[in-house]
Amino acid sequence: MQVGLKIWRYDSATGDRALREYEIEAPEEATLLDCLDIVKERHDGSLAYRKSCRMMICGSCGMRMDGAAVLACKTRMYDIAEEGRVPVISAMGNLPIVKDLVVDMDPFWAKFKSTQPWLQPGYERPDDGREYRISQERMNVIHKEALCINCGCCVSECNAMESDPEFLGPQALAKGMRFVGDPRDGATVERLERYNQEHGIWDCTRCYFCNERCPKGVDPRDAIAKLGAESIRLGIDRDMGAKHAKWFVRSAETTGWLREEELIPKTQGYVAAIKQLKFGASLARHGKVRPIPFPHTANDVDEARNLRKLVREQDRDGALGIVQGERALGRLEHGHKDESLEEIYERPGAAPRPWLPEVEEEASA
Amino acid sequence: MSATETAMKRVAYYKGCLASLSAKELDSSTQALAPMVGIELVELESVTCCGAGDIHEAEPDYYLHLNARILAYAEATGCETLMTVCNVCTLNLRQANFMLQGDAALLGRVNENLETVGVPTYSGGVEVRHFLWEIAEGEGYEKLKDVAHRGLKGLKVAPFYGCQILRPSKIMGFEDPDRPWSLERIIQACGGEAIDYPAKVKCCGFPIIAAREETALGEMIQPIEQALEAGADVMVTPCPLCHLSLDAWQQKLEASTGRAFQLPILHLAQLVGVAAGLEEAELKFKRHIVDPRPALERLEV
Repeated sequence: MQVGLKIWRYDSATGDRALREYEIEAPEEATLLDCLDIVKERHDGSLAYRKSCRMMICGSCGMRMDGAAVLACKTRMYDIAEEGRVPVISAMGNLPIVKDLVVDMDPFWAKFKSTQPWLQPGYERPDDGREYRISQERMNVIHKEALCINCGCCVSECNAMESDPEFLGPQALAKGMRFVGDPRDGATVERLERYNQEHGIWDCTRCYFCNERCPKGVDPRDAIAKLGAESIRLGIDRDMGAKHAKWFVRSAETTGWLREEELIPKTQGYVAAIKQLKFGASLARHGKVRPIPFPHTANDVDEARNLRKLVREQDRDGALGIVQGERALGRLEHGHKDESLEEIYERPGAAPRPWLPEVEEEASA
Repeated sequence: MSATETAMKRVAYYKGCLASLSAKELDSSTQALAPMVGIELVELESVTCCGAGDIHEAEPDYYLHLNARILAYAEATGCETLMTVCNVCTLNLRQANFMLQGDAALLGRVNENLETVGVPTYSGGVEVRHFLWEIAEGEGYEKLKDVAHRGLKGLKVAPFYGCQILRPSKIMGFEDPDRPWSLERIIQACGGEAIDYPAKVKCCGFPIIAAREETALGEMIQPIEQALEAGADVMVTPCPLCHLSLDAWQQKLEASTGRAFQLPILHLAQLVGVAAGLEEAELKFKRHIVDPRPALERLEV
């Protein structure tokens, strides 16, 4: 098939920048990475890009296609070529460009390293000399985070990092959650204290670009929410972001609706909020806030209050509360939300059923 | 044929926190516009805040139950659609809905809890849809074309989607999150000119505006600056949180940059409302910090 590509060429040594167009002949099964190889081998040997495994596991070939971060080796070109589209290929965002499609990953690795992405053992070995075993339920908490291949596609599009370049970012925090949620790790509180600092989890602006772009289904935004939930569960809630989040809970159980007018002082503290009085007055002039807030209470709010009391007794607080929906949402992602697992594996040509301990236990029970 | 002569679509209407308080103009314009585009709003009496991203982050199990309670009351109205007018409510409710619909054991546990506190149980039979989706296609769009006869006559409108109506696309699923079309289609149907700019799908900064104001303003400046450079007269958004940051915090952006932007921001129901001839009593533009009326008065109608 004929594939057209427009590639942003850049040389940081000279500052030269140009959009070059290439027209190549590629096999129908070609990925974007295959196409770049063809460009480099047959058309222009000076093109620079990173690659290694070619099978979506090394994380080297993150780049942008039409402005969206992708793994080049995961991106099939057939449909695009059929449509006659000529996509624009450029380097990932939020990282300095070295040459063409190659970015400087040093800031990425520095943030990653600062989260101490290794196990700091803090568990007692069982007396019987056998290995330390973790329940499936506990592993579910970090299953997705463990899939991260450090490609940087999430970081490329992070809106908060564009505005605050020091933000630890979705990749580093997702890996942080991988260890916070590991029951063998002994540094949970120290980690959470670190991730709760100025450029940590409460910098996340919830734009969900990271979930959208991650080629491995890690869902970094959900990992950051898990870190927030674990922080609040353990009483690490000094950051304004944590106070902001807790005010929504307080509002829901007292009046049902968000007590909007008290949100700024409850987040920033009453002393700091005095600086906002002029701003508040401008909102009051237009009826956005009322000079004296009075409760605006939802009907049957006692139900919402009792619901909170009830669920807090059921041991699904913190990250466990988030992962209980992951299986359902995962099925949604793979386009079979109306099918059960049984039905999926019984489909003609379905992949063989993987070994699942819980299935075996159910069968033998 | 006028819109009222054909069958109305009954939807359970979840207005959320902002439209109940700081963005009352969103509620009044939605209430006025809905019947004109064939939608009958059944207001929910016993619902609470969806928790924004905040309860989902602070106490996720409580988030799920609060949203299940909203879904249960919506189902109890007999409507198949729960209609939202806010991006954040849309994500929260759709996410909770898919969690419950896709996991029978989870639905069972949540229903048991709902019953204990006296809430009707939820069977999973409601679909959560934003007002934008209701009028961007199908019956709603056909009626919109009929009622938008007053027209926006060449008004240059910058569509601003915000985040949580596009992403995560597996939960939203209405349109391509990188090449959305719904707002543009509505703007054009109302006689306006939709201008294009890259930041229309990016974040307005609102979720962190109280805790990280500087970072939030660094995000917010992008759509405002780009829309003005592209010649926008006004901006329209389907989300009252985006509206609040872009409208109310614009003065802080002006103070910190020393520039005068004065870009009026309209709620979606207001923009269509202008084209459909709604009056100030329903549009309530006086509640905006940046008054859109001077830009709209230039329209030749």
